[in-house]
Amino acid sequence: MFSQLTHATPVEHRLSYSLNLLALLGISFSLLIAFFYQIAFHELPCPLCQLQRLGLILVGMGFMMNAQFGPSTIHYAMAIIGALAGAGTSLRQVLLHIAPGDTGYGSPFLGLHFYTWGFISFVMVIAFTSIMLCVDHKHFSTPRLQRLGWIAVLIISLFLILSLANTVSSVMVCKLGPCPDDPVQYFLPF
Amino acid sequence: MIMMLPFLTAFIGIVLAMKGKRASAIGVWVITIVIMLGWMSYHMTGTLNISL
Repeated sequence: MFSQLTHATPVEHRLSYSLNLLALLGISFSLLIAFFYQIAFHELPCPLCQLQRLGLILVGMGFMMNAQFGPSTIHYAMAIIGALAGAGTSLRQVLLHIAPGDTGYGSPFLGLHFYTWGFISFVMVIAFTSIMLCVDHKHFSTPRLQRLGWIAVLIISLFLILSLANTVSSVMVCKLGPCPDDPVQYFLPF
Repeated sequence: MIMMLPFLTAFIGIVLAMKGKRASAIGVWVITIVIMLGWMSYHMTGTLNISL
């Protein structure tokens, strides 16, 4: 899969490369925590939860492509648009459960529900991306395939596996149709 | 309406990016966000039980 990278150019913008990989690791970590709760505590993702996971993946693709091809305004735009879509979805879920007496969906993590953490994360992504656009503004050039280190290959591979796992999970929870609003069991055996 | 579709297209986009096909990966990313907007319209346009 990484075969073409042997012909790639060495990474030219080390700081940008490292920060984008760090951001991608953060995205992967968020997806991992969601999966841990899904598997360990049988908390199946609701449709809005799935859309927030998708928003994280779309954001991650922007950061991944910055590491893979070098920094580009298009890649940062991908991250910001993905974050806006994810933030809209998580804000909608916050509003669904904001009324007094509503205990929310799923169990809280460090005192906040996952959709609230999701909204905070997406806002942080937008702030981070804005800062990176300033940091990188002198480095934007024609995107070229970069030579990745083994840590980068590891992080991107983890992101790829989590993306595939979400695809499989969505089939198991929703089959090949819309998801139930409040899923309680897998349609396909786990 | 297939919920797994945007996850599948996102996965394909990541694979394309890993293979060095940048333009195709961006194209698939655009398809994914369009499908996501469709799902957002499906799941997020009901009335909220609050006064905004």
